[in-house]
Amino acid sequence: MSDNLEQSFVKQLKENQNIIHKICRLYTNGEDAHNDLFQEITIQLWKAFPKFRGESKFSTWAYRVALNTAITLYRKNTRTVSTVTYEGQKHFLRQEDYNLEEEEQIKLMYQAVQQLNDIEKALVFLYLEDKDYTEISETLGISEVNARVKMNRIKGKLKKILNP
Amino acid sequence: MDELDLLKKAWKKDTHSFEQVTETEIYKMIHKRSSSIVKWILIISILEFVFWNIISFGFLGDNYIKDKYGKDIFEYVIEINTVYNIISYVVVILFIYLFYKNYRRISTTNSTKQLMSDIIKTRKTVQYYVWFNIVFFVIGTLILLYVQFAYDSRFSVFIDKIHNDGTHMLLYKAIGKIAAFIFVLVAIIWAFYRLLYGILLRKLNANYKELKKIDL
Repeated sequence: MSDNLEQSFVKQLKENQNIIHKICRLYTNGEDAHNDLFQEITIQLWKAFPKFRGESKFSTWAYRVALNTAITLYRKNTRTVSTVTYEGQKHFLRQEDYNLEEEEQIKLMYQAVQQLNDIEKALVFLYLEDKDYTEISETLGISEVNARVKMNRIKGKLKKILNP
Repeated sequence: MDELDLLKKAWKKDTHSFEQVTETEIYKMIHKRSSSIVKWILIISILEFVFWNIISFGFLGDNYIKDKYGKDIFEYVIEINTVYNIISYVVVILFIYLFYKNYRRISTTNSTKQLMSDIIKTRKTVQYYVWFNIVFFVIGTLILLYVQFAYDSRFSVFIDKIHNDGTHMLLYKAIGKIAAFIFVLVAIIWAFYRLLYGILLRKLNANYKELKKIDL
């Protein structure tokens, strides 16, 4: 492993770290879990980095590997039902940007997303990132139709959670 | 408006509100694999321990000793073998414990400095372990040879010959042969450990060098 490879990896990851943070944000609650997942994703990315040939953008490649890591890890813990401890969560919202009501609503939204399963969270992530269904289906290895159906189901699910 | 779209709006604003990870922290994260190398050292040492025990119980038991050594000395050899085994159990288990401690320390450490000193400690432990095995083997062989020369009637003929030989040539030849024999076996043991732990130690060392670069 050459030093150059390492340097370029560290640099690119540093520049693109927000996308990883966002994935951690959806898959974990609590700062420790967030940092653990971030580290795990970093290690997986570094392991996969020699195979990254720059055919896609670093960020695209990175979020794909990161999603896979999150899904795999999350799968192992799927039996432990997580109680949402929102207070413990890393602070992501800049207060001045939101009025109180909106902020409250967004908090509830994140809590609702937390209750989705691993694949659903991945779909939400891609949706929030404004990816089109072609890319979503490619990333998750499902058909475009299936992705659309799933997305609609998620929206329904979230509505139900938010308005019981 | 869709709930998810509301989230999307917030999502975009969120982009720059994450606590940023520094380059040094990323370096540290990818060098955390030290702990997995140390884990392998622990696993291999345990496997090795189990392997040698199976060998010694299965093949080198008392019956093997009876067959191999003459009737004059096999009882001595069995006794020596028992003591030898007990000592080696105690020491090897102690080493496995030390490997375990190294592993625990390395996998929980946070500072680069600490990690570096832990890596050095682990390397030293492995080196001591290899040295113990070699020295212990040589001592065991010498004790066995002594018993054979002192008590085995099959050897007494040979000893008489040496006594009667005025030039000491026979004695020197015998010592030379024994030394060569021990040397070859030590070389084999040494090569065995180099192969077994050498690869892991080299990786650990590479990791150490990288960490050193960051820490400067």
